[in-house]
Amino acid sequence: MQYFQFLIIIILSPLIQGTIKKLKANMQGRVGPGIFQPYYDLIRLLKKDMVISNVTSWIFKATPYIVFTSTVAASMIVPVITTESPFDVMGDVIALIYIFALGIFFMALASLDAATAFGGEGSSREMTVAILVEPMMMLSIFTAAISAGSTNISRIAGSGLIFSPSHVLALTAFLVAIIAETGRIPVDNPDTHLELTMIHEGMVLEYSGRYLALMEWAHYMKQMLLFTIAFDIFFPIGIANNVEISGLAMSSGIYILKMLFMAVLMALIESTRAKMRFFQLPSILGGAFVMALLSVLTYIMMGK
Amino acid sequence: MKNWIGAFSVIDFISVGILITAVAMNALRRLESCVKAYTLNSWLLSSLIAIVAFMMGETHLYIASFVTLLSKGILIPMFLRRIVKQIKVTHDVDPYISNALSLTISGILVAVVYTSLKEGIFVAGFSKNVLQISIAVIFIGLFIMITRKKAITQVIGLLFMENGLFLAGFSLTFGMPTVIELGVLFDMLMGVIILGIFTIQIRRAFASADLDKLTILKG
Amino acid sequence: MDPESYLYIGILFFLLGAVISLLPLPKVKNYTYILSSTGALSFALLSLHLLFATPRNLFSAQISSLFNLAFSGDAISGFFVLTISILTFAVSIYSIGYIRDLKNKGLMGFLFNIFILSMYAVVLSGNIITFLISWETMSIVSYFLVTFDREGKSAKAGLIYAVMTHIGTAFIIILFFLLYRYTGSMNFSDMKNLSSQIPENLRNLVFVFSIIGFGTKAGIIPLHTWLPKAHPAAPSNISALMSGVMIKTGIYGFIRISMDVLGQGPEWWGIAVIVIGAASSILGVMYALMEHDLKRLLAYHSVENIGIILLGLGASMMFKSNGLYTLSAIALIAGFYHTINHAVFKGLLFLGAGSVMHATHTKNMEDMGGLLKSMPYTGLFFLIGSISICALPPFNGFVSEWLTYQSLLLGFKSPSITSKIISPLGGAALALTGALAAACFVKAFGISFLGMPRNKHAENAKESSLSMIIGMGILAFSCLLFGIFPGMVLTVLQPVSFMLTGLYGTPYQQGSLLGISETFSTISPMAILITLIVMSFATIIFISSIGGKRKIVYGDSWDCGIPALTPRMQYTATAFTKPIRMIFKRIYLPRRELKVSYLVKPFFVKSIEYKGEITPFFDRYIYEPVIVFIHRIAERVKLLQSGSLHLYLAYILITLILLLIFGT
Repeated sequence: MQYFQFLIIIILSPLIQGTIKKLKANMQGRVGPGIFQPYYDLIRLLKKDMVISNVTSWIFKATPYIVFTSTVAASMIVPVITTESPFDVMGDVIALIYIFALGIFFMALASLDAATAFGGEGSSREMTVAILVEPMMMLSIFTAAISAGSTNISRIAGSGLIFSPSHVLALTAFLVAIIAETGRIPVDNPDTHLELTMIHEGMVLEYSGRYLALMEWAHYMKQMLLFTIAFDIFFPIGIANNVEISGLAMSSGIYILKMLFMAVLMALIESTRAKMRFFQLPSILGGAFVMALLSVLTYIMMGK
Repeated sequence: MKNWIGAFSVIDFISVGILITAVAMNALRRLESCVKAYTLNSWLLSSLIAIVAFMMGETHLYIASFVTLLSKGILIPMFLRRIVKQIKVTHDVDPYISNALSLTISGILVAVVYTSLKEGIFVAGFSKNVLQISIAVIFIGLFIMITRKKAITQVIGLLFMENGLFLAGFSLTFGMPTVIELGVLFDMLMGVIILGIFTIQIRRAFASADLDKLTILKG
Repeated sequence: MDPESYLYIGILFFLLGAVISLLPLPKVKNYTYILSSTGALSFALLSLHLLFATPRNLFSAQISSLFNLAFSGDAISGFFVLTISILTFAVSIYSIGYIRDLKNKGLMGFLFNIFILSMYAVVLSGNIITFLISWETMSIVSYFLVTFDREGKSAKAGLIYAVMTHIGTAFIIILFFLLYRYTGSMNFSDMKNLSSQIPENLRNLVFVFSIIGFGTKAGIIPLHTWLPKAHPAAPSNISALMSGVMIKTGIYGFIRISMDVLGQGPEWWGIAVIVIGAASSILGVMYALMEHDLKRLLAYHSVENIGIILLGLGASMMFKSNGLYTLSAIALIAGFYHTINHAVFKGLLFLGAGSVMHATHTKNMEDMGGLLKSMPYTGLFFLIGSISICALPPFNGFVSEWLTYQSLLLGFKSPSITSKIISPLGGAALALTGALAAACFVKAFGISFLGMPRNKHAENAKESSLSMIIGMGILAFSCLLFGIFPGMVLTVLQPVSFMLTGLYGTPYQQGSLLGISETFSTISPMAILITLIVMSFATIIFISSIGGKRKIVYGDSWDCGIPALTPRMQYTATAFTKPIRMIFKRIYLPRRELKVSYLVKPFFVKSIEYKGEITPFFDRYIYEPVIVFIHRIAERVKLLQSGSLHLYLAYILITLILLLIFGT
């Protein structure tokens, strides 16, 4: 069972996306598509022919696979419902961030490959956001890692942390990081195709068919993974530390609740906030960075 | 003894002549006159050595006197005259400082030399004046080199310096061994020849015999 | 065979290569590089001996009572010899093809061989005199290599290099003198034993001088100013060696003096090194981002990577002074691991840049584009280098940066509060550096290798010759190898760690896992690689089982309905970095000039001229004032040195008169 917990992420991630969309629509007084819509979209895309720009090189074709498989690799590291995760030796939280970075790196390259301005724009902005997000993410993870005495994510999750002031600060910073990394309002607008505002959409603009399906799916997976990581390292309460069926069932239930909470939170933020101007991002991301920094310092000075 | 004193006054007389020709250089503008001043200077030097040789009865000093006359009094002036003709420059115009000033400065130089060497390190010689005069001639030669622009007058300044040095050496030691003197003279001759060729080349390269044109070679 | 014979054979090969290059044999000249690659192999064997045996004297000759020419080797030297050998081997093979179009082949071959020999001599020097001689030889030969192209630009770069390197050497000489004065020995090994006799203040002074002196060579901020000018000016095979290993001799010197000879220092040493490392890495990569000259970009990345190496070494020193020897060993291994990694991937990137320049005749990225199609191998290898330098798994940069993160994270175990605070900040700096580097290489690779060719040269680019591809291939393969088999590199690093910290270091290897027992953390680049490959196949099977076989239609990129996209419509490197320039404007101090001329104001624009630049802060606000000051003094002094013969004679006259007046 524990060998296949990463499949939860792969299979359920479109559902989370659907749930968020549905919740968002409801909050905005719309009916919205059903929560299974992302699955239909993915299957539809997989069954379509592809149009590929003739200026592209093999990078363009390899990228969907690299992005998808690197996200799968990341999800193998993360304990989802049990900390008895057999693949977690493959990498720790730091490696996790770098595996994500591998995906971003290739995505940014692929978007430059089609030689359009939209791609370049998306690539440039994505890397800029990554520059602002990565140090803050790393610092907030440092807080958790220092308090758990390990960077191994199962160990952090299994250490049964007590929620302390420094953790609140770090979690806040990490939530901002999640919003930025998943391309949500106020950093990016996932529903837009307006060139002035798009970041992630600009990067995948040239993709169609199964490549697009892989890219989108990877994006959903990354979103769910980040939610999971946030709970794993900052609020691991309820996660099973064994592989017995009863424990796993309990843990799964709690996990679903946690994911629902994140979905509501995301929908709430997206519905109540407006997208920020790109050059105002440093203020919010910088603020989050300071928070992450404070969390580390608080932990060091106060010891909790 | 009386004879000696008389002879000494002759030596003084000649050495003052040497000084005057050197100082006169400062006022001369025509290149040929410069060469003439140098020639006169060399003749005076040669005769001074001859008189000392007569008084001391030293044979080798006669040789020194003769060789000086031959090289500095005849050969070098001849050569210089040829150069003057070849470079087709007759006057060393617009010097750095005026005639009057350069005369004044050379006067000051002589005064400085005399005052500094008043007590003097000079003891054994035949005249109290010769050493001071020779040093003064050296300085004036150097001063000529500084104030004049033409390469040929530089050479003449150098020659004056050499005459001064020769005299200084002579006054201190009653003449160096002949071989050394011959060697120095030969060096001198070669130096003048080289410098002469040099002057002609400078003139060819810069269309001027002015040495300050050489500053354009600086990076 | 004993190590000495490997040394002599190696030297023989290099000298032979140098001599043959000078002979008038045009055909043979191309192949002298085979000799140098063989020599490198011989030195590699020597290095293995040095790493796994006790320190030994290799060569010694008493020239005079004070001057003893001595070469000796221990684990530290062995490690650096190995690093130099790996890069030299690949670069030599690359050079066979690369120098074919060069004008002055003989001179190149000669300088190339002597340059490598001098680097070996630096890291094998047994005493300070030998070290200084080798160091100066290396500096001078590299100066000739920087100015090899005989262009105005490289002459200026060479001048700056020569000045900076000699400022550094001055500090090194002073610190050597101090060490000699207080230990009475010139041998590094004796100095080490006697270094406790040096008073505390002087130890601090020696430490500061070693940072300045060796830091100049290593290119730490703010002493880096020569590096981005000199490295790109040299031919690319030399740039690879300079960036890959020459600046590492600065690191070697620093380690030799501050960590080996001086031994354990106060805590602030380590903290100072961490701060310098953090500043160098962030600022280095930031300036790299703004460069559009491919080689200058890479040169700035050398500054960055030296910073990362120093983060590891600084953490090691910090732990050592706090008595945490196990942690010190981990941090030290991190620093050394990154040293060898940087040599490999930076060498690879410079060789790649050389191939690109060879094919497109330009260093400016804005003139490239689409090269991946015309130069598939160069493109692939450059990509591997880019991934490695961005520390992305599963390549080698990832392993060493991970180790650096781990060692900085372990700072919380330190008893001192300053160390506790400074180390996570170092970690944050490293994260920022990593993200900036990724952006920079997306730009470098994306703009030059992807998209459409931006001009004729890029369009007609041809793949490089076979030997160049092999040279790059060796390094690209090493990048992967050092990434997925970290245990291999650890074996080499443990003797070094043992020598400096007394411990073999606790990063352990178990199967394909690299782990640190202190944090219970493990990574396995090999497993990540296998996962990526296996999952790719799984994905392909999954897709085709759901979607079936589908057609691919090739068409134009989305052009918003305009008839055709031109290469000029692509994102440029300048545009790519614009958001970063805007966000970090306090650091870049960008300036822009916009000149618009109208036909009918304000409706019909005739032409727009745009000029934008960033302020090179260190050049403008530190070096320029100093240079202006020196120039002003020089102008004054120049009056004395007017070139006028008359004035010089006047000096003589005045001196004589003064002598006459005061002398008597």
